[in-house]
Formats: sequence, C-alpha cells, structure tokens
Amino acid sequence: MENKEKKQTRRKFFFKTATAAIGAISTAGIVTQSCKKKVEEGETVSLLSPDGTLVEVDKANISMAKMPAQGKEARAGIPNKKFVMVIDLARCRNARKCVTNCQKMHDLEPGDEWIKVFLMQDSNDTAPYWFPKPCFHCNQPPCVKVCPVGATYKRTDGLVLVDNERCIGCKFCMTACPYSSRVFQWKDPVHENQADHDYSPETSVPHKVGTVGKCDFCPDMARMGKLPTCVTGCPNGVIFFGDKNEDIVTNGTESFRFSELVYERAGYHFMAELGTEPNVYYLPPVDRLFDYKTGFKTLTNEQKEFYKKSIVKKH
Amino acid sequence: MDLDQKSTRTLNYFVPQMVTISKSGILQLSILILFIMGGFYALYIQIVDGHIVTGMRDNVVWGLYIANFIFFIGISYAGALISGILHLLRVEWRHPIIRIAEIITIISTIIGPAYILLCMGRLDRLHHLVLYGRIQSPIIWDVLAISTYLIGSIIFLYLATIRDLAALRDYPFKSKWRHTLYKFFAVNFNGNSKQNRYLERGLNIMSAIIIPLAVLVHSVLAWIFGMTLRPGWHSTIFAPYFVVAAVFSGTGVLIIALWVFRKYYHLESYITKIHFNYLGIILMILGALYAYFTFSEYLTSWYGSETWEMEVLYKLFDPHEYWWWFFFAAIVGVVVPILVILIPQFRSINSITAVSVIAVFALWVKRYLIIIPTLETPLLPLQDMRPEYIHYTPTAIEWLLTFAGVAMFCFLFFLFSKFLPIVSVVKGEEGTNYAELRKTVMQRIIKRT
Amino acid sequence: MKSVIKHILIISLVATITTDNIFAQKKKTARVQVGYFKNYDKAEHLVATLIVKEKRYVPLSNGVIHFYSVSDTSRVLLSKIHTDNDGKAVFIINDDNPKIIKGPSGVFTFEVEYEGNSSVNAAKRKIAIKRGDLEVSFFQKDSTKSIEVSATEIGLNDQIIPIEGVNILLYVQGTFSLLNFGKEKTDENGIIHIDFPTDMPGDTTGVLTIVAKIDDNKTFGTIESRGEMNWGIPIEPVKEKQRGLGDTDAPLWMVYTLIILLSAVWFHYLYVIFLIVKIKLVNGSI
Ligand code: SF4
Ligand code: SF4
Repeated sequence: MENKEKKQTRRKFFFKTATAAIGAISTAGIVTQSCKKKVEEGETVSLLSPDGTLVEVDKANISMAKMPAQGKEARAGIPNKKFVMVIDLARCRNARKCVTNCQKMHDLEPGDEWIKVFLMQDSNDTAPYWFPKPCFHCNQPPCVKVCPVGATYKRTDGLVLVDNERCIGCKFCMTACPYSSRVFQWKDPVHENQADHDYSPETSVPHKVGTVGKCDFCPDMARMGKLPTCVTGCPNGVIFFGDKNEDIVTNGTESFRFSELVYERAGYHFMAELGTEPNVYYLPPVDRLFDYKTGFKTLTNEQKEFYKKSIVKKH
Repeated sequence: MDLDQKSTRTLNYFVPQMVTISKSGILQLSILILFIMGGFYALYIQIVDGHIVTGMRDNVVWGLYIANFIFFIGISYAGALISGILHLLRVEWRHPIIRIAEIITIISTIIGPAYILLCMGRLDRLHHLVLYGRIQSPIIWDVLAISTYLIGSIIFLYLATIRDLAALRDYPFKSKWRHTLYKFFAVNFNGNSKQNRYLERGLNIMSAIIIPLAVLVHSVLAWIFGMTLRPGWHSTIFAPYFVVAAVFSGTGVLIIALWVFRKYYHLESYITKIHFNYLGIILMILGALYAYFTFSEYLTSWYGSETWEMEVLYKLFDPHEYWWWFFFAAIVGVVVPILVILIPQFRSINSITAVSVIAVFALWVKRYLIIIPTLETPLLPLQDMRPEYIHYTPTAIEWLLTFAGVAMFCFLFFLFSKFLPIVSVVKGEEGTNYAELRKTVMQRIIKRT
Repeated sequence: MKSVIKHILIISLVATITTDNIFAQKKKTARVQVGYFKNYDKAEHLVATLIVKEKRYVPLSNGVIHFYSVSDTSRVLLSKIHTDNDGKAVFIINDDNPKIIKGPSGVFTFEVEYEGNSSVNAAKRKIAIKRGDLEVSFFQKDSTKSIEVSATEIGLNDQIIPIEGVNILLYVQGTFSLLNFGKEKTDENGIIHIDFPTDMPGDTTGVLTIVAKIDDNKTFGTIESRGEMNWGIPIEPVKEKQRGLGDTDAPLWMVYTLIILLSAVWFHYLYVIFLIVKIKLVNGSI
C-alpha cells in the first residue's frame, strides 16, 4: 500500500552498489532509507553517502544488513565521544512523545517505559513540573558496579548498556540503580517489529525473557549521525543530545554549545548527592512555556487523580 | 571400636529408629513430599511462564524468595556459630545438641541459595558466573562465601561424626549397603590415640575457621543490600545487624528442633531442661543485642530524617501498611522471648520453645520487612498506573515454593536422621587435648616473648 | 440571463463544495514541498517532501514524485522518484542534463507533482532558483583566525557575479547537527569576514569542519560549502578505564584480599582433609 504512515523502527538498511558500498546517512535529514517493498527493476533512489556526496542507485541493488555494532565493538563504545543529554524542564508539558517513540523503537509493552515522565513537586509550596527521565548513563554507575557477570557495562563514550545475552537476571542492578531506570522482562516478549533481527546491546532488541533492559541512548542511531528517538519525537524540543567532547548539543532544530547552555541556564544533576555523576543534565523549570496543568490534557480522569495523589507529600 | 557403656546404650537406642519408620512417620513424610511436589509444580510454572507468575515487578524486584534466602542462611548459624563456639569453649552440655545444630547448618545452607536461584531470571545462564564473574560484585562474594561455608560445614559435620560412623560400622546392621556406607565413611577409625589426635586437631581447626566464615557469609549477604543507595538498606551497621539477627534466629530454630526431636524420638533423657535453659539464655542475650541494633538502626534514620528514610519509616509505622507486622517483628518477637526467659518462673521447656517459635517467625517477618518496604520506596515517585507495580503481593507460586522450602528442610532432616543418630553417640576425649592445646599455645606465646 | 448565470454559478459552487466534501471524507489532503540544495561538493539536487494530512501532517512513503523542468512554454518530465520513509524524494541535477531548461536571467524553474491515488489527493509545487556558489577561505594572523566567504551567482551568459546582501551563516559540524557561530550579510563584493571563536573543541588533533551556508534563500535555495581546519582545541583521546568498581577488572587490593582470604580458608580445608586421610592410614591398634 502506498499510503503507509511512516513507521519508525530500528530496521537498518544498508545500500550496496556494484562499485561501492555506501551507508545511508543524512546530514540535514535529507535522505536515508527506502522502503522494504519489492521494487521494480530499473527504478533508482538517491542516496546521500556519509561524506555528503549524492549517488543514484538502482533500487534492485539495495540490500538490508545490520548496522549496529556487535561483540567487542559494542562493549568498547564509539571512539572519542562522550554522549550527554540536556533536558529543558521549562519546555515539557507531558506530551509523552518521547515515551511512545521509545516504546515503538524498542518494541516495549505499553506499561514498560525506558524514558518516563514524572510529575514532580519538590515541596508542598513549590510548583509541580513534568520531569522526563531516561537512564542517566552515570559515570559512576551503581548498576555496573554490582553486576556479577558484567552484563551491564560502561563504555568509553559514556554509555551504560545491557547485554541481554549475558545477563543472568539477578536484578541486582535494578535494586542498585537509584533512579528506577531499569525494566525487567517478566514474560516472553511479544515482538512486533524486531523478531527477525540479530541482537545487539546497541539496539537492545529483541528482548529476552528474564533479562534486564533500559534506555540505551540509541547508539545505533548515533553511529548513523542520527539523534535518539526521544529527542526527535519531542514536539517541544525538550531534550537535547550531543557529544560533550565537541561541546554541541541539539534537539534536532536548535543547537547550542553544551557548556554555555548548562552554564547560562543553571543546568544541574538530578540527585547529584548520590555521587553517580549522571550524563543527563537538567535545566530548571523557570520561565516555563506551559503551565504544568497542560500536561493533564491528554490524560484520563483516573490518571489525573493518580498523578495528583502521587505528588502530595503524605507527611 | 570399643564403646563405653553409655555410648553403647545410646547406639542401641537409636539404631532401631534409624532403620524403621512408623506409620505416623510415613504419613508425615508423605505430607512433606506433597508440599515438595507442590514446590516443583510451582517451579515448573515459573520456568515455563517466566517471572510474571510471581508478585515481583519492576520496583519490588526481590520478594519472598530473597526473604527466605536470608532467613535460611540466618538459621544456618545454629550449627556454625553455636557448635563452633561451644566446641572451642569445651562446653560439656553441647554433646546432645551439637549434631542437630550442624545438620541445621548444612540443610539450610543448601536450601537458602536455592531461593536465590528461584529469583534469577535466567537459570540457564548460571555458568556465566564462572565465565564472566566480576569480583567487584557482592553477588560473587556471596557465591564464593556461601560455597566455602557450605563445604566447611560439611567437613565440620563429617569430622564430628567420624566417631559415630565408626560405631555404626561396627554395629551389626542387617542391610549390607549400610555396612558398606559406614565403612567407607568411617575411614578406618578405631579410636587409637593418633587418630584421636588428628581428629581433635581437625575439629579445632574447623571450628575456629567456621566462626569467622559464618560471620563473613552473613556480612556479605548484608552488603548486598548495604551497598545499594536505598533507604533502609544503605546502612553501615547492616552487616553486624544481619549477623546478630541470624544467630538469634539460628538459636531459635535449634531450640525448636531440639523440642521436636525430643518429642519425636523420646530423647528426654538426652536432651534435658538444662539444654533448653542454656540455649534460652543465649537466645535472650542475642535478642537483647538484636533489639539494640534494631533500635539503633531505626532511631538513627528517624533522627536524621532524610526524606527517603522517612518514607520507609512511615511505611513501617503506618497501621494501613506494615505497622502490625513491624510491631510483631521488632517488638513482640524480641520482648516476649526476653521476658519469658528472663523470669525464672516462666522458664520451662515448652515456654522456651514457644518463644523461640515467636522469635523465629518474627525474624522471618523482619526479613520480609527489610526487603519489601524499601523496594516499594524508590527515590523517584511511584507513578505507575499498574497497581501490582506499586504494591507487592506474593502469589500462590511464591508461597508454594516457600512452603516447599520448609518441607524440604524437614524432609532432609528426616533423611539425615535415618543415616546418623540425631544425637552424637561417642564422646571424644577432648579433655586431654584441651590441656595439650593450651600447652602448645602457651609455649608459642612464651617463644615469641 | 444574468440570473441564470448566477444560478449556474451557485449550483456549480454548491456542486464543487459537495463533491469536495464527499472527497474530503474519502481523500486526504497531500502537500508537496520542494527545496533546492547545493552540497559542498557542488552536487545539486532537489528534495521534494510529500506529506499527507492525518490528524496532522505526516510523511508519506513510496509515493511517486514527478520532477519537471518548466519554462513559459514547456514542461519536460525529468524523473519519477519514489519517496522514502521520511516522505522525501531526491532528484540530482546534472549540469549536462539536456532536459533542464534555463530560463531568462539565469533562473531555473522546476515543478514537482504528486499525482495522488484513490485515497490521497494530488499536489504540486513550483520552485524557481538561481544557481549560486560559495567559496570559503581561512586566514590566520597571530591568534586571530578568520574566515572569508564569497558568494557568487552564475549570470545568463555564464559570467560570475558577486551576490550582494545575502545572509551567510557559519557553522561547526557536530555529530548530530551544525552549531552556528556567526551570521553576516555579504558586501557589494559578495564577501563576508567572520572571526572564528577561540574556544571551540576539535577532534583529538584539533581538526574541525567549518561550514558556510546560504540557508533556504528564496532565490538561491540552500548552498553549502565547507573546509577542514585544525583550529579547534584538541580533545584528550578517551581511553578505557582500568581496574575500578565499575570496570571489567577489579581493583588490585580487592583481588589480593579475596585471594588471601580464600586461600587461607581453603588451605585449612585441605589440611583437614589431609588429616582425615591420615586417620585412614594410621590404622593401628589403640
Ligand atoms: S541511571 Fe541507573 S541504570 Fe542508568 S547508569 Fe545510572 S544507575 Fe545505571
Ligand atoms: S540483572 Fe543482569 S544486568 Fe542486572 S546485575 Fe544481574 S546480570 Fe547484571
């Protein structure tokens, strides 16, 4: 069918021509993928190769292959990168697109969220605010320290990933993570998109029963120069992502120098006192674009009550 | 091997019980087996359907299983610490109870870790612990410590049994296999002075080693919790707290076991009120120590009143949540045993056993209260629409496996009692050896100075 | 007569409205957008984006986009290209493509069209561009590093004319995006000068990519040019950490402690087992 709404999945396409192999990449989000439909001979697609040159390729020559790193490479990290995320709390209105995008990309069940949006209120007298929270990819990750088999590990590019082919499911990392970032696969996973794919810790799919999963900062996308799906999904540009080494973060439309942004907007670490040294920075919810109540719009009454109750300090 | 009169009498008393089983015994046994089968059935379901059949979810990732694990490792202290210490101190009244204590140790050190396995998502990857083990993880410490402890306990029990095995070897059993079995394990022991010396040396070494090892095992266990940044867990006194709680419950279980065997095998002449009194007093002292730790732990966290510590405390003190359990576990379970044992008029075999039951059950509840309320209090608000992700309720599967564990405990005890007299038959001659030991120690000290 | 015409008009109006309504229920509105891009390697292309209105506009994949070159008098089909998952179709402009018609005063006019199908309406859009070019040069005097960009266009007779008064933006290329550090209007020679910030990190050797851009200009589309310079502050190469709580290998003290503890215990176990063996062997009399 022609009228197929774009479905963003982790299918990776790899284009081969008779002369050269070119990985599809986009600098300005121009061209990337083609459809996996059967194609007629003779049709061509245009591709932008990683170095920015354009090539027209016969569609029949396009084949699919896996891009994300595997094995040793997936444990080492992308060379000379230090990925950071900056979350601007002043812009969040609980649109929850980060959550749903992430669930779609990682094939998660409806209740399982690798990025969550909390309604927070620091004290009864202060204003509530929405608080998107992925895994913080801590530099001193308690989860990595306690893993008995090294199934969860820290890479040189700052990412903390889980290898669900090594994980023994002891759940120690889940009790060790102070930020409730980890999600257990309690039952056999239902795979909509990914069942036919090889596993890589960089894609975190397919899931395996009895193992742990969590936000992975989409390193497979980073390898293609693309932003994590929560970043591109957010309609309000709340989430910035980038490389601390090159000091640039972007939400897809705006780019800032990471150091300046965090300096000028008084960026902070959530619960810095825990000493986990997160790689996620928050910009405080000042001069907000939305009242926090806007975030209730998409919710059912039951959910509203639930949220309101959950932030009230009992004592 | 030559036996003195008393030993012969004991042996003659026990052997018939070892080779026969009464009708009511068969009934009890089949009930146990029924429970164990129930456990296997639950295990089968859990393996087929995944952990979704348990009450555990993303916040409360550890539940009944881990509480049982701590509990069983805790009661394993009965043997290790108590028999180790009693042996080193040459306490005369230890003989009738030491065998039971050691068997408790071994059985519970086998059953306890089984619960860890039940809690693991991927049993099929157990070998990863060897392939990829990271010694920075307290779980690896635990694996090493518990396996070392188990083997140590087995060696200890074996050493303490060699004399009896020799006696059994020489007993005219009808069945041949028993004979071969005892012969093999009796390692030609015939009680000559050299053998006695070696045996005593081995026993001394093992009882000296088993004590620090037992302390270490439970400390490591406590560190699994203490090392995490969780309210109610991240506490420096957790290791000693766990150790004391463990000896407390271990003593309690020992008293109960003594009572049961006394009734079951009519051992009134072997296990007397003295034993109950002494153990009761140990229980009381440990109870006081345990109460002191509990008070210290909760007083500090209440006084410091960190947000998250307070959240946990409020859960424990909230009548709608855990207050009655907490009341039972931290107050009733300690105060009642102490009072009953403290006042001589209350002290009787039955009352001491009754308060032991209370104490043991209270300590099980305490383990539950250590695990669950903390896990129900993550640092971030619990905003999950799925109620089972907020409150933990153990499922039938978990209960089945819990009861199966207890049944297994009794069953293994029963098995042991069919192979070994439940009370040690032959006494050693440690009197002389003790003097010898003291002499050598003194000599060494003199040499040094 | 007048009233008749009026009536007919009204009727036809009503008719169109109703038919429109009928179709509106069945057919979705499509839109096609088009942009002209000139890459830093001088490759030129048109990007057509096909979007369709669901609740909001979403990209439509695998739709066929027709690319035409148009002049006042003619409309030549250049290519038919399928849109990708992002609803984009790219047409590469080759200099020697005879089908591309050059309009008066050097303006090229293209049209993209989507013909629609049973459930989506047709859509088309025109674009008229002049072909321009950017040239970046780098100068370094003492500690000031400056960039000169000159913008030119190709006139009717292929002569090169400086573009005056066009905005040029300067960026540093990042992994995921371009970071803007300057913007200026060209002078009458089509030239701008911008100083490069002194505190920009580069890669491990300090090299970074500087991009100059005319961005989405009405006349010139998007033109990009770039150059690599070692003007950045070199970053420390990231090395793998060795031996720590969170690393693969444990701290040495931990290894030693463990070995000492375990071997102490196990040595005694072995000794005791040795004693047991001895018991077995000294099978003498009492
Ligand atoms: S947020 Fe939690 S899971 Fe993520 S790195 Fe930190 S401790 Fe580990
Ligand atoms: S659950 Fe898996 S990843 Fe987590 S600590 Fe255990 S083995 Fe490591």
